[in-house]
Amino acid sequence: MKELHFEYSMKLEFETPVEKHRFTLKCVPRSDKRQKILDLNIDVYPKEFLSTDEDSFGNQCIYGYSEGFHDHFSVSLSGRALCGLSSCEDDAKEARIGLFRYQSEYTKPGPEITAFTNSIQVEDTASDLDRAIHYMKALYGRFSYVPRVTTINTTAEEAFAGGCGVCQDYSHILLSMCRMRQIPCRYVVGMLMGEGESHAWVEICQNGVWIPLDPTNNLIVEDQHIKISSGRDYKDCLVNQGIFMGQTLQRQKVYVLVREERM
Amino acid sequence: MKNMDLCRHTDTVNELLARYGVKFGIYKNNEFHEQLFPFDAVPRVIDKEEFAYLEKGLKQRVMALNCFIRDIYGEKQIVRDHVVPEEFIFASSGYLAQCEGVLPPKGIYAHIAGIDLVQGKNDEWYILEDNLRVPSGASYPMIARDLCRKSSPSTFKEYHIEDNRNYAQLLRNTMDYVNTGGHTVILTPGRYNAAYFEHSYLAEKTGAHLVTGNQLIVENDYLYFIDYSGKKERVGAVYRRISDEYLDPMNFKEESLIGIPHIYDIFRKGNVALLNAPGNGVADDKGIYYFVPKMIRYYLDEEPILQNAPTYLPFYEQDMAYVLEHFDHLVLKDVAEAGGYGVVFGDKMTKEEKENFIGLLKKEPRRFIAQEIIDFKDIDILDQGQWVPRKADLRAFVLMGEEPVVWKSGLTRFSRNPDSFIVNSSQGGGFKDTWVLSQ
Amino acid sequence: MGIISVENTDRLYWLGRYSERVYTTIRLFSDSFDEMIDSYLDSYEVFCKRLDIPNIYTSSANFIERYCFDSEDPNSIYSNLTRAYDNCITLREEIGSECVSYIQLAMYDMNRARVSEAPLIELQKVVDNILAFWGIVDDSIDSENVRNIIKVGKRIERLDLYARLHLDAEKMEREVDRLVGRIPRTCLKYRKEALSRLKELVEASEIDYYSIVKEVESILEE
Repeated sequence: MKELHFEYSMKLEFETPVEKHRFTLKCVPRSDKRQKILDLNIDVYPKEFLSTDEDSFGNQCIYGYSEGFHDHFSVSLSGRALCGLSSCEDDAKEARIGLFRYQSEYTKPGPEITAFTNSIQVEDTASDLDRAIHYMKALYGRFSYVPRVTTINTTAEEAFAGGCGVCQDYSHILLSMCRMRQIPCRYVVGMLMGEGESHAWVEICQNGVWIPLDPTNNLIVEDQHIKISSGRDYKDCLVNQGIFMGQTLQRQKVYVLVREERM
Repeated sequence: MKNMDLCRHTDTVNELLARYGVKFGIYKNNEFHEQLFPFDAVPRVIDKEEFAYLEKGLKQRVMALNCFIRDIYGEKQIVRDHVVPEEFIFASSGYLAQCEGVLPPKGIYAHIAGIDLVQGKNDEWYILEDNLRVPSGASYPMIARDLCRKSSPSTFKEYHIEDNRNYAQLLRNTMDYVNTGGHTVILTPGRYNAAYFEHSYLAEKTGAHLVTGNQLIVENDYLYFIDYSGKKERVGAVYRRISDEYLDPMNFKEESLIGIPHIYDIFRKGNVALLNAPGNGVADDKGIYYFVPKMIRYYLDEEPILQNAPTYLPFYEQDMAYVLEHFDHLVLKDVAEAGGYGVVFGDKMTKEEKENFIGLLKKEPRRFIAQEIIDFKDIDILDQGQWVPRKADLRAFVLMGEEPVVWKSGLTRFSRNPDSFIVNSSQGGGFKDTWVLSQ
Repeated sequence: MGIISVENTDRLYWLGRYSERVYTTIRLFSDSFDEMIDSYLDSYEVFCKRLDIPNIYTSSANFIERYCFDSEDPNSIYSNLTRAYDNCITLREEIGSECVSYIQLAMYDMNRARVSEAPLIELQKVVDNILAFWGIVDDSIDSENVRNIIKVGKRIERLDLYARLHLDAEKMEREVDRLVGRIPRTCLKYRKEALSRLKELVEASEIDYYSIVKEVESILEE
């Protein structure tokens, strides 16, 4: 168990001001069996109309509207998280497990992933989790971490064929492989100890609970990860989604800091 | 019937339909065209008793479908109890994960259901498909009736026919029943939509405002219509004639320009009614169709009154074997397609086409259903003064309010081509009025 | 006053304007057409000048063909009727199917005139249908606002056309009075000073038609 202090900030800068901006933010971590969130502080700019909701995946959403012109949009949050309280997330809602057993937009396997998955020998008696861990290890050996060769739109198959990518790609590929074997699994967005950007990993459902695996780092998640949201793939977990009026160049900056709080 | 005065007035009625702009839009070579929907004056006649039977069956079916949708976006008991296999739900394009756990006002998903039926030569009615998303077509018989009564009053004196012009009132009742407070609007993608006439006509007749997405705005968890003066008027019910995917760019297809951002978020909170509810596509999927009789037994504990056309799911091994063996006697339908597309007849394929198709079928069995070709009971139409038999179907409308109501009429579409089984208006057919006799 | 969107307000107004434009230009055209049958061959030049539209035509025959029926010519009667129609069919729930039907009929007649040997006969039917349209607008539209927005559009268009055609002071004054009486009976946001300025302009001893055209276009607020 660790007590982590976290800061998350996202700033979207517009070269020329925009108006009539609608946004949905999924950047708020919530407490579950594995993590307890304390002293949460959230600030959104601009915030003419703000509301909150929970989506169908149980993610916390902040959504809103800003009518007037603004040259940037930002959200920052901070708080403490008690992590690693349990080895798994909340109990899975039984009725919704099946949903994660099928390929989604980003995870549809092509010939490369299919061949790779079929080439990995796993005992028939292996549990879903063991099989997933096996796949994770194999993927870790085959795929390299290289930033900026893939984009947010790269699918699992495209990334895998390219041989390298980032946490989003590792996660999509592992999901694709597990779903080929009908193992329910989902995409997770969160924060990892250290300084940098947000992180992505996966959760495998076994015996009615969700167990997190971090394929980028080839490990079973313990107490260094703070979960923000989860869904079928990247698309269900967009940290910031928005539409506005105005033709402009935009630049997005994300900064994440997670450090251990001295007890 | 052949001596009926009305039949002499086919041209008059068609002229009047043109006068009132009763058209549908189609795109040809990326260009928008408006087309008249040819009307045939010979009505489909359903007697009182027979309609009572249809009515009972249709209510039962729509009730079960509604239970199904609620179950699917909730506890999924029907899956847990192995009545419907999970993959028919989650791999269906009509299933929307965003709708999980969302209960619409009054628990109604399918407010306006268009159920397509055909009558076999044995007089038996068969359900062809269920349309629970945005079924269209009620406006055509509604206005045609009005014009027929003008053209041939004597016909309507002679026969005792249920007035079908109450559709607007039925629709209004349905909209009012779920309204969460405020105005009622009909949301159209715009003038260049195929069914724009219907949207505008139903707005006129129900007294609802016809709006496009840019006229509505979500603010502080409620939906508003922006008046000319800038005043915001609350909207409590949206009869939307745009598909799920385009309804809300923040929750469905991002690139949608015709939707209303965040409308689904406030729907989730129960602050506006959407007719029909998003996500209904999971129940009118051609693959799910197979399971509707099972649903009726499962949810209502009743035997289905109306039958499906005999259907096989190649997904099941024994059905696949049957399909391969009887390929030439079957019609095969791609579950992802609609509007008469993706339908092929086994006996109309060349050897090569057949081989390719069977290859595809084996590779993606979940994608297709196979049905026995029903020997349709033909209906007469007037073709240049001659009575000729043609294939026709019937779209019945069931409106759900406190209780389901079946509209005492329907849209009868026929194929002008004597060899065609496809009666869809987008493929060049015509329509007839549907009379339900009142005594 | 019922609720009405910015778009529909705009469409009602332009429906009024274009229906008037079609009506008045057909009547003007009919007069010129008669001349063109057997006498002064280039009278269409004068016609274009009076209406302040570009003379893109190459002969009388070309003028008759294109000014009346060319869907590509933005100044043609056909184009103006199409605009009236486009606005009209999106207003069914505001004005009712009966009203819509007359513009629809005018459109059918226009298409018949297009292929007719004697276009004036068919064009007269277009005029008849527009007159019927105005009649039914008056008769069947319950909402005073909706009815009057169409009429304001019609009045503004007529004033604009009359000013371009340099009609006499009496006619101009009458049109301004009709507009002044009509416009406050709508939800339209308008500039009161434009109306008083128009009144001054038509009452002046020497009418400045150019200023009237300019003032007419600025009556409504953006």
